[in-house]
Amino acid sequence: MPAYKLTVNGREHHVDDVPADMPLLWLLRDRLGMTGTKYGCGAGICGACTILEGNDAVRACQVTASEASGKRYTTIEGLNDHPCQRAWLEEDVAQCGYCQAGMIMSACALLKRKPKPSAADIDEALSDNVCRCGTYPRIKRAVQLAAKLGGGR
Amino acid sequence: MTTTRRHFLKLTAVCGSALALGFDASADEPFAPNLWVRIDADGTVTLTVTKVEMGQGVRTSLPMILAEELDADWERVKLVQGIPSAKMRGLGTGGSWSIRGLFTPLRTAGAAAREMLVAAAAAKLAVDAASLRTEKGFVIHDATRQRLSYGELASAAAKLPVPASPKLKEKFTLVGKRTKRVDGKAIVSGKAEYGLDVRLPGMLYASIERPPVMGGTVKRFDATKAKQVPGVVSVVQVSRGVAAIARDSWAALRGREALEIEFDGGPHAQWSSADYIWSLHEAATKEGISTRSAGDSKTVLAAATKVIEADYVYPFYAHAPVEPMNTVAWVRDGKCEIWSPTQAPNDVQDRCAQLLGMAAENVTVHTTLVGGGFGRRLGWDYALDAVEVAKTSDQPVQVFWTRADDMQHGFFQAPSVHRMKAVLGDDGLPLLWHHKKVSTYHNARRPVTPAQIQDPEYNRGSSWGVYDVPYAIGAIETSYVYVPTHVPIGPWRAVFAPSSVFARETFFDEIAVAAGRDPLALRLELLSAAPEIVEAGSLKISRPRLRRVLETVAAKGKWGEQLPKGRGRGLACNVYDGVTHVAYVVDVSVRNDKVRVDKVVCAIDCGLVVNPNGVEQQVEGGAIWGLSSALKGAITIKDGRVEQSSFADFDVLRLDETPAIETHIVGADSPTPYGVGEPTVAPIVPALVNAIYAATGKRVRTLPIR
Repeated sequence: MPAYKLTVNGREHHVDDVPADMPLLWLLRDRLGMTGTKYGCGAGICGACTILEGNDAVRACQVTASEASGKRYTTIEGLNDHPCQRAWLEEDVAQCGYCQAGMIMSACALLKRKPKPSAADIDEALSDNVCRCGTYPRIKRAVQLAAKLGGGR
Repeated sequence: MTTTRRHFLKLTAVCGSALALGFDASADEPFAPNLWVRIDADGTVTLTVTKVEMGQGVRTSLPMILAEELDADWERVKLVQGIPSAKMRGLGTGGSWSIRGLFTPLRTAGAAAREMLVAAAAAKLAVDAASLRTEKGFVIHDATRQRLSYGELASAAAKLPVPASPKLKEKFTLVGKRTKRVDGKAIVSGKAEYGLDVRLPGMLYASIERPPVMGGTVKRFDATKAKQVPGVVSVVQVSRGVAAIARDSWAALRGREALEIEFDGGPHAQWSSADYIWSLHEAATKEGISTRSAGDSKTVLAAATKVIEADYVYPFYAHAPVEPMNTVAWVRDGKCEIWSPTQAPNDVQDRCAQLLGMAAENVTVHTTLVGGGFGRRLGWDYALDAVEVAKTSDQPVQVFWTRADDMQHGFFQAPSVHRMKAVLGDDGLPLLWHHKKVSTYHNARRPVTPAQIQDPEYNRGSSWGVYDVPYAIGAIETSYVYVPTHVPIGPWRAVFAPSSVFARETFFDEIAVAAGRDPLALRLELLSAAPEIVEAGSLKISRPRLRRVLETVAAKGKWGEQLPKGRGRGLACNVYDGVTHVAYVVDVSVRNDKVRVDKVVCAIDCGLVVNPNGVEQQVEGGAIWGLSSALKGAITIKDGRVEQSSFADFDVLRLDETPAIETHIVGADSPTPYGVGEPTVAPIVPALVNAIYAATGKRVRTLPIR
């Protein structure tokens, strides 16, 4: 099996013995030991595995190891006191918390693109992420707050 | 799940360098300390949490109760998750019972520990205990300005007798205070560990291909190709299918795909949910088991001039938590260790031990954080999967379900048909109320017994929201007709209430319309009659408290205000389990048959409030759960198999469809807390349906709304 090189949270990883079609989701979770990125559906529908590729939100379950090779990714573990994290805590968003890493990474990508998002922008950016506990009203507030805290910088 | 036994306490202290208290929260079992409070010499207060955290906030609210009575420093309270054992029972988490059941035990434990620390300080300082006070982990003697930390007193305190009935506080400083969730930081940094995140050295991963038809079996299979998939370690048949065991999740999934299996569909290969729901309609002509009977229906019906009748139809639903079912098991040296996101740690221990033929004490169950429970994880089926697979290996194995497995092979919320009848008097007030629920009992976890089927109390237990109709109506008959099915049915958020309350509160709206009366005014009128407390089965429902939430929600939700065309406002209420009172006002806009929920206002009386933030979270969650069920996906079964497989075909409410949700807490001056996670689910649906009627004149009687 081929070997791949990718950068996650600023650190370069060399991975071998991995099939080309292995989704980045499982590469992160099972091979690199980073379980912050969650499995929810494996089909790009629930958004639980959202991470950043450069500045863009991608579904880690929809990116293969070979596609990921040479690219730079940021996962939830790569955020450090990020305005989105602070805003999430301030609004006490999480209930079970399982979907929140995907929500936060989607919000990060939105703010990089639009540092001052409108309500419609937030709706558009986060409506492909599923939460079953019902934290959506708080997520909306948290994204607005994260924008005020400079989350787009 | 709704145990009514009264909790009482027996405390014991354990000596050593720490003060540790264990107490028994159950009345009908031998002494078995199931909850430990420990204060170490360094001042750390450790509380064993005996409930499962699944988003309802017990890891925050339960320690708040303890810390309040103990006067502990909130920053220094440490949590340990309870591990099931013969002594540690009662870990099962459901029925909105955690705070309700543990409020007094936790207070008593905290107060007892505090009194022992004060007594130890009194002895040390040679002063009267009455001259001492406590604050944030210190015993303080104001007169001499001396402060002793709990840590330095712990060892002496542990040698003192445990007070039999410690004095509880009359005024709270922490309980009732808006408090942030203790797991927040771990969650937003990706460090929170759910079942699926458990990683052990040498751990293998497994995925099980199951018979697609419920009740089907594996006839034969060929694992040759599966074993050729790189990373696949082995293939084993287990009772629910064939498992591919591999070095990582992807290889397990690929291996599973490569399995060649011939299934036998079994006796239910032609079964469809549409036929079953039709059979519920047919069975609605049967008499059923009476769950409540009052007044003289015969005479009222004989003289009736205005009779209103309607049937309501409720579908199957899945739980669909975002974290699919999974468990890690490690079977070795005659022992088994399990890591499971479960709501039922004791059941997991007992059932897995049974399957392995081991004594329960040889099975250790670690409960992880749960990525959404909603009743699904009161089942132990997925833990048994893991144990069955893991016993074929020396290594730990994580068995994980895919999204499709999760949608199709769990247990479901039962469908039901509700046959309603009312008679209106000349003044428009209802004289008669009949509500017959036609459905099936929970069968997924334990079989239904013939005695239960005939038992009115068991049937009441399956008809929350039916027999406990709170309104003053002269003749009331409620009943339950059982129509068995092989489809696994089990608890779902709010259990039996959502279907019944949908039918009851929507039909009430129909009556109000037929009588030309305002639905709020009619409710208030029928809740103002004597007696104030309605007895139904073992429940005692307070009409004044229900009136109060209705009056609050009406005021806050601007009930009676004129709305433009295409918009509507609806109202509904319920008393959950006889204790938690909830009322909603829902605003909708309907354009081209498309419903948009504009606003939700909730008034809730759940008794004493430990954490207002937690109550608000549960109102938001319950409302969104209910709206999802009404507006989005349901489960259908055709040719014996579930037709849905993901959030694409079993959709749930999304962020852009979510309205503003306003919560108004009333009745927090009550001495006792009640549940909140489930009670908020049921009445949102009829409030929505009634709003749609107000906007369009169209009456929804079948869910989900299409």
